[in-house]
Order: sequence, then structure tokens, then C-alpha cells
Amino acid sequence: MSDQTVTRTNDEQQSNSLTDQQPTSHTVDAETDEQLVDSWTDYEFEGEAAITVEDLDVYYGDDHAIDSISMEIPEQSVTALIGPSGCGKSTYLRCLNRMNDRIDSARVDGTVEIDGENIYEGDTDLVELRKKVGMVFQSPNPFPKSIRENVSYGPRKHGDVNVGLLGKLLGGDDSEAERRLVERSLKQAALWDEVSDRLEDNALGLSGGQQQRLCIARCLAVDPDVILMDEPASALDPVATAKIEDLIEQLAEEYTVVVVTHNMQQAARISDQTAVFLTGGQLVEYDDTDKIFENPESDRVEDYVTGKFG
Amino acid sequence: MFDRVALGIVGTAIVTFLLGWTTLFDRTSPDTAVAGLSLFALFGVAFLLAGAGLIAAGIASNVGLFKTTADQYTGLGTGVAFGVVGFATGGLVTTILFGVGATGSALAGLVVALIVTLGIAVLPEDIGTTLPVGLLALVWGVLLAAGFVDVGWVWDPPSLAATFHAPIVVPLVTIALSLLVAWSGAIVAEGFGSQGRQNGAYLMIGLNAFGMIAVLLLLILFVVRKGLPTLLEGAQFGPGLSISVPFLTKGVMLGQQYNGIFPAIVGTVWLVVGAVVLAIPMGIGAAVFLTEYAEQGRFTAVIETATNALWSTPSIVYGLFGYAFLVPRFGNRNSLLAGMMVLGFMLLPLVVITSREAIKSVPDEYRDASAALGVNQWQTIRSVVLPAAMPGVVTGVILGVGRIAGETAPILLVTSGAPFPARAPSILGSFRFTATPPFVQNEALLQASSALPYQLYAVITAGVGQEEAFGWGTALVLLLVVLGFYAIGIASRIYFRRKLHQ
Amino acid sequence: MSTTELHQQVRERFGVETIDDRVVALGAAGALCLLVSAITFLIGSPFTALPFAGFLFTVAYGLYEYQAATAKALSFLATIGTGTILALITFYLLVEALPAIRLMGAEMFTSTSEPMWRTRGEEMYSLVPMMWGTLVTTVLAMLIAGPLGVAGALFISEIAPDAVREVVKPAVETLAGIPSIVYGFIGFTILNDYMMESLELPTSGSLVIVGLVVGLMSLPTVVSVAEDAIASVPESMKSGSLALGTTDWQTIKSITIPASFSGVSAAVLLGVGRAIGETMAATVILGHAQRLPDPLYDVFGNTETLTSLIASQYGVASGTHMSALFAAGVVLFVSVTVLSIGSQYIERRMKHQLQGES
Repeated sequence: MSDQTVTRTNDEQQSNSLTDQQPTSHTVDAETDEQLVDSWTDYEFEGEAAITVEDLDVYYGDDHAIDSISMEIPEQSVTALIGPSGCGKSTYLRCLNRMNDRIDSARVDGTVEIDGENIYEGDTDLVELRKKVGMVFQSPNPFPKSIRENVSYGPRKHGDVNVGLLGKLLGGDDSEAERRLVERSLKQAALWDEVSDRLEDNALGLSGGQQQRLCIARCLAVDPDVILMDEPASALDPVATAKIEDLIEQLAEEYTVVVVTHNMQQAARISDQTAVFLTGGQLVEYDDTDKIFENPESDRVEDYVTGKFG
Repeated sequence: MFDRVALGIVGTAIVTFLLGWTTLFDRTSPDTAVAGLSLFALFGVAFLLAGAGLIAAGIASNVGLFKTTADQYTGLGTGVAFGVVGFATGGLVTTILFGVGATGSALAGLVVALIVTLGIAVLPEDIGTTLPVGLLALVWGVLLAAGFVDVGWVWDPPSLAATFHAPIVVPLVTIALSLLVAWSGAIVAEGFGSQGRQNGAYLMIGLNAFGMIAVLLLLILFVVRKGLPTLLEGAQFGPGLSISVPFLTKGVMLGQQYNGIFPAIVGTVWLVVGAVVLAIPMGIGAAVFLTEYAEQGRFTAVIETATNALWSTPSIVYGLFGYAFLVPRFGNRNSLLAGMMVLGFMLLPLVVITSREAIKSVPDEYRDASAALGVNQWQTIRSVVLPAAMPGVVTGVILGVGRIAGETAPILLVTSGAPFPARAPSILGSFRFTATPPFVQNEALLQASSALPYQLYAVITAGVGQEEAFGWGTALVLLLVVLGFYAIGIASRIYFRRKLHQ
Repeated sequence: MSTTELHQQVRERFGVETIDDRVVALGAAGALCLLVSAITFLIGSPFTALPFAGFLFTVAYGLYEYQAATAKALSFLATIGTGTILALITFYLLVEALPAIRLMGAEMFTSTSEPMWRTRGEEMYSLVPMMWGTLVTTVLAMLIAGPLGVAGALFISEIAPDAVREVVKPAVETLAGIPSIVYGFIGFTILNDYMMESLELPTSGSLVIVGLVVGLMSLPTVVSVAEDAIASVPESMKSGSLALGTTDWQTIKSITIPASFSGVSAAVLLGVGRAIGETMAATVILGHAQRLPDPLYDVFGNTETLTSLIASQYGVASGTHMSALFAAGVVLFVSVTVLSIGSQYIERRMKHQLQGES
């Protein structure tokens, strides 16, 4: 990871001459949008950038879903992406672990640097990338397997945990290591107390909130650096949502968390910095969460966060 | 270097795979010689090279000459797969070499399978996925290249009716081994590990899909090539719009220049029309009742199970049923009417199933909206539900019609008469009203008729000789009719689905 | 039952708001006519047309005067009719098969002593060779159609790019329509000769050819049904696995296949049912010898399947012989129905499993 403190620059256009070793602009112009404010916000933060995005464009066929976004996401913090539906915030999130590769018609331009490597470069190993950048989805999607198998799924597939007949035959059985891993991950996801006595039950029998925390545990078991969350609480009731929010704040002590949400109160509660996406896949403003909600530079962002539009 | 070797191995394997097929079907002669080497010897050389390449790649990866992502163990999955290969090889080899019986060779095969499975499972992945395949390829290569197995090789197992000659056995083994080599080469190409396994699996699945489509398309092309001359025999096109194809417009008569299958075409058309008239109102009615009126419970569950059971009932069983139930009631002889009813019964479950699916997929909002306007249930069904479900129903019916149009077995039992009739049944022209029961008569309906699939069957039972060309022509027309129905049905389904999603 | 109660019931059943005695009378008349015509048809009376015409007239009048009630009654009749057909098939098969089963007893399904099938003199009907023939051809067919079909389904659903899928999927579905007699014709004219020539078979036709042809024939069916099952695994489940850094193939193996396992096995069972009931290919390819192959596993030998037995002998059979053919039909019917119910059960379980309790 680049080892520099990012300073603010203030230019209208992205400077293409910038390299990852140099300061980068954080906001994006969209000349097409007449309403867009002409004031530019730049965002400076302490610590290092976990993810550096430059000039990112995404097209679905002819549809321009993400319009030239550049931003840096600081590590070990919660970054919220907010905006009205259809503004491209989920698409943007899915660019960070290349889940958009699943869609044949999607085309991505620009660079996304994680650990100093551009993940859109030719020979990027998707397996390694996704081990490093975990993801939690909008609605809980546990596998139709036992709770334990759900958590140990990733490590098993990556060959980090060997269990089963072959392991026993060769004396390399990692059952104990697997048990510890499952316990640790479930504790991290604040689910251990609720399920410790029924690890072999089918995960689909859990409640929605428990399922979502299981999905977080499943993601933690792979030991990622970054966790992407796509509206992780939108399918949950208020009590479950509160638990997930607490959990996100705790996770930020160790991990870089990027959360997409349409719920502005939620973004205000949990995030350290907030990026506001408005129509057309444009990043309109990116700053400290307090600043965005109390005194945003853009009028449109102000209208949006105060509920006048969106 | 490493990649190139791997790609070379995969390429070689695909070439031998394809050549294996062409040899099996006599498109490539085993006597073909290139540079003084016979075809089989060439196979042998190819396998020697590929086998050596695989083993070299595996060892090179294992000792660290090339950086790969090979796992610590090959794993039980691959082990078991090789166990199956080991079972076949072990069993066959012991039988061929020592002439032991079935039990003996099965036992020998099991022992080999067990050893191979466990042995390979605990090997490092880069060795376990290359060495066994490489060794098999080397052995097969030596056998072929050194001439131990040549064109004259024969194996006559005492317990089987068949005798196996080299021109069949060599291509078959070559095909099977080529697949193994290609799989192993594909794993090497991606440097083992999860990516390598994915590459190997995808290559196999892709080849399978390609082969499946190729075989089925070749089948159709084959029928077209064989049948087209007959179909177009004596055909005249032009001038203008005057087209005459005697094969489609004439029956079979003595002293006629070109015989044709017109009566069979008419028979098939009437059978289909009759079946549709019977099955569609009944099927849609039942679907409406089950989905719209009836409460979901035991009754609907029973009917649903019954419908599915009807759908899977073999056609010959319908034939038997028609033979026992309908034929005695229609003058104790085979008749068009009985055929219509039996095919209608066969079509019925499909109409019920597809109509139910289509009606179920009409959103409840439509029904609610209609009911909220004070429209009663029947009118809602008639003017909202059925029109919305129509595309699905129509598609299902077309597919079903395609199926029954090609059905032979029931017709054989309840409709068939003279195999090569001269005239087509004239249904519309034979209605008679009488003063005595049953008041309405239609001689043609109660008479036996031919139909396209039956005509093809008749060609076969008549003993293929000079009739064979006639058979191919019939097969082509039948294929065109049935596949035409299918193509229309599937195309309309795609069309309606697209429209729905817009 | 008083008239008001009756009215009440009719109103509830058929959802008619304004109801009077004429609707009830009309319904009763229609039902009576239909019942009478069913009875006259069953006893083979030439007078069937009269009550049936009466029924048609009642329906026509009903549709004109009381459309809603009549439509509902008709749809109910159609439902009953569907069930009745299955009942009639079962009944007639059993009744016709009874004489042969009475003659042979359980031996019909167990006797393996020669001769197993003799239609003249001292009659002997053992279905064992045919059951064996059906079993062998079905197993051979499924060894081909099962793995290849599932692999094909995986290709279409999970691996092929969109453009390829849009061509291959409808193509496979269309190929499912090739009539079995066409396969039979090719098997008879091409494969039989080829096998006799290249393998020096003593007789024309053998189980292995039937197995091959039937396997190829059921392949498209297995592919398209299995593809439906595989495609119904929710995308979110697959994304969940991929986001953990597994390869597509690992996701297919560990998530997609287990989650769609019931649906895929239902597809294979459907293919088995088709293979068991496949008639024409077996009839035209086999040489029709009603004895067991020797040794039993000689798939190059000639024997008979249940379906080909019926199709090849119905023309010359009468009396107990015909009844024995019906017994073969009963065996077919029962095994396929059991398979059908089994696959429905499995499919229901799959739905339940995928929905979970969330």
C-alpha cells in the first residue's frame, strides 16, 4: 500500500498525470450536469488509503452507469456510499471486488488500486482479490449447509483447512483448527452466543438478522482486509439492523469497511466519511460524514440529505 | 515454455480425439499412412509425446522448476475418478491377458481401483494429475507405435457375442485416453490448483456440449441428405408458382411413376386435429378449475399427481388402453377416431401442466384489480386471466402437438391399417345422417388410416430393400413436421418471454 | 335436503349470485345426460349419441343463459375427466392382464426356467427376460444420458457465454423433439449393420445399440430439465460463494450442484422414465428373442424389452397371449408411475430446501 499521507488538491479536471504515489483528487466533475455545483470538495484524511480509485467508468451496453469516479478510501474506517436508487452506488461497490465481471454486458474503464496493484490489470487473480476484499450482500444469502460449514466454506475451498477422510488418513486433519476458526469468526460477528449450541443446524433455519451476521462471519473467516457491504440491513427489522450497525462500527477497528446504504440516518450513525452519488453515476461530494450532513458544499447534496429530493 | 508444452499436449489430444471419431465411423481409413507410419502408429507417437510431456511437466512443477499453484494433495475426488479408470483397465487387461471370467476380472478391477484411488489421492497434486495419465498414454503409445496392437488385432471374449477388432477398439481407447490427456493438459496449462482444476473441468464439459450438439445436428443432416433425393424425386418447380412434389401429393399405386406419402400426411394431420380438439378445451378447463376455482388441498394434489403420472405414462401403454377400451367400441377395428382419442389423452396432461403454469404466472394484481371493479370471477378469468395466460398455453400446446405428431406406438395398436395406402381418408366428405342409431355416421373416421411415423415403421417391417429410400424420404418429412412444431413453439416462447420482460 | 339448502350449496359451489330452480334443473339435466352417455358408451350401445347430444344442448343453453355457473361446472368436469382417464387406464390394464396373471401366478415375474415364452401348446409367459432387457437398456441409456446430460446442462446454465446460451438452449430443446421412430430407423438401417459387420455379431440388433440410441434420445430431455433445475439456484447464493474468492468451478461443485441436486435427480429420473417407456427404437432394432442373454451381462446379445414385446406381438396375439402383453403393460405402467411420483416428491423437497425458512 502506498505509504503517504494524502493531501488535498483542488482542480476541476482529474489530472491524468497523477500516479498512485502522488496526491489524488477526490471529487469528480460532470460537465453534462448543469445543476451540479461548481464548488469542489476535497477530502483529506489521516492514515493510509486502502483503496485508490481513478477515473472509473462502467458501461452496461450503451448505458453509462458510473461516470468517471476517482476517490480514495481510508483504511480501518467506515465509508458510506449514499444516494437515491439507480445512482450507481451498488455498481461502484461491485467494481471494488470485480463482481461486475459476472455481468457479460458490463465494461469497466479506469483503475482501482488495492495494495498498490491495479485490480483491473490483465492478470489479476480474482481468487486472491476476493480473498482480500470480502463482500456482504443486500439480502442474507447463506448456503443451504450447516452453520459451521457456512463459516468454514472459504478457508476449505482455499485449502487452508483440510478436513475429511484424506486429512484423517494422512494425519493432517485440521478439524481442531477449523473449530477455532469457526468460533473466532462467529464471535467477531457477534453471533457465537446465539448459535454455539447448534453449529450443525442448517443455516437457512436462522432468522434474517442472524443469517446476515452469519454471512459477515463467513466473510471474516477468509481474513479479508476490506469488507464491502451492499445495503446489509435493508432486508432486516429495526432490532436486527441495530445489531448489524454496532457490528459494522466494531469491524472498522480492524477492517476497512465500505457500506452502501439508502438510509441516510444509518450512514450518519455508522460512517466516518460519506460519498454522495446522485443521478447518472456521478460522485457529487465526498467528505467527513459530519460535514456532509451538517454543511455540504453542494446544494443538491444539501437538498438530498435534508430530504428535499431523492 | 511450460504453457506451450501444456497447450501442445491439449492440442495433440484434441486432434487424436477427433481422428478417433472419424476412424470409428470409417471416415478415416486405418490404412492411412503419413511419412511411412500407419495411422495407429501415428496415434502411438502422439501418445508417447503427450505422455512424456505430461510427466515432465508434473515433475518440473513438483521439483520447483516452474512456479505453480499445485495443492499439497491430489484429493479423493480425482482419486476416485482414476479409480474408475483403473477398474476398467484392470478388469479388461486381466481378462484379455489371462482369460479369467467375469467375477475374476471384476475382482482384479476392484483391487486395481482401490490401489489407484488411494495412491493418487495422497500424491502431490502436480504429480497426481499428470503421472497416471502420462503413464497410461505412454503404455498405449508403446503398444501402438511398436505394433503390439495393429490393424489385425482381434479379441474374442468367450462370454460376449461380440468380437472386437482393432478398427473399433483402437479408436475407442484413443478417444477415451485423448480425453484424459486433454483434461490433464488443461490442468497443467493453468498451473494446477483451483484454477487448473476449473480449466480441466471446463474443457471436458465444453467438449461434451460440443460433441452432443454435433452428434444431434449430424443426425439431422444425415436424414436430410438421405431423404432429400426421395422427397424431390420427380419434383418440378416453376414456371411461376406451379410447384409439384409428387412425394407429398401422391399415394402408393401400381403403375404410378412416383409414389408418395400423401395419405400418411393427411392421416397425421387428422390425428393431430382430432387430438387437439379433444385435449385443449378439456386441458384448459381442468387447468382453470385447478388454479382459479379449487381450493389448494388434497383434491388438487391428487389431480396434480394424476396429471404428472399421465404425462410420464409410456405411449405403448396408451396404445394398450386404446386397444382394450376404444377399439371394441368403435366397431372392433382400428380407426382414425380411436387414434385421435388416444393421442388426445396423451396430449391432455401436457396441456393441463403448461396451462396451469401459464395461469399461475399471471400476477394476482390483475385478478385483484378486476375483482375490485366488481367484476365476477368467471368474467375475470375470461377477460383478464386467460388472455394473459394465452401465450404460455399456446406454446405448451405447440410443443405437445410436435410430440404426438411423431408418436408411433399408440397408432400402431389402434389406427394402423394397410401400410402403403393409395388414397387419403376423406373425413369431411363422409358424414352421413341416418334414421337409425347412432344417427350420425362417418365411415372415414371409423376406418384405419396411415400416418407418417407409422409409414416409417411399415418401411422397416416390410424389410428394408428398395423401400429404404422411401423410408428416408418419410423420415425427412416427419422430422420436418415435428421439428417445425418444436421450433415454432420454442421461438414463440422466447418471443413472449422477451415481451414480458420489457 | 330442502330446496333452499340446495340453492345455498349451489350458490357457494358455483358462485352464482342470482340462482333459481332452473339453474339447478339445468345442472341436473346436464349431469344426467353425461352420466347416461358414459354408461351407454361403456356398454358399447349405439345410442350413445342421443344422451351426448342432450348434454351438448344443455351446455350450449347453459353457456347462453348462465355463463359463470356453466363455465365453472364444465371446468370441474374437465378436471374429473383428467382423473378418470388415469383411473380407466389403470382399470383396463389390470382387467385385461388378469387372465395371464391368473394362469402364471407370481411365476410371471420370477420364473427363469426355459422356455420363458411359449404361446402355443402349453402356454408359458414369463416376463423376466423382458424386464431384464428393459433394465439393461435403461441402465445403458442412463449411463450415457445421465452424466452427459448433467454436464450439458451445466454448460448451458453456468459456463456458456450469453450469446452461446441463446443459441444452444433452444437448439437442444428442439432436438428433444426428434421422433423416436426416426432414431429407430437410423439404428435399424445404419447401426445394426455396422455392429454386425465390425463386431461379428451373430444376430442383427443388440441391447447395447438400443441402450446407445435411447441414451442419445433422452439426452436433450435430461439436459433441458436439469438446466431448469440448475438455473433456479438463486444468483445470490452463487455470488456469495464467488465473493469469498472461490473459482466458478468450485462454486458449481460446492454450491450450485448440491443446491439443485434434487431437481437434477428429478431430471434424470424423468429420463429414466422415458427410457423405460421408449418403444419404437427398441422394437425396430432388437431381434425379438424372448429369453435371457447368456451370460446375463452380454449386452451384445439379443433379447426383448417390455415395450418391444407389446409392439411386436400385439398383431398376432389373442386370448391369454394378449393378456400377457397387457401384464407387460402393467409392469411398465407401475414402474414409470412410481418413478414419476418419486421425482415429484424430490422436486417438492428441492423447493422447500431452497426457500428455507427465511
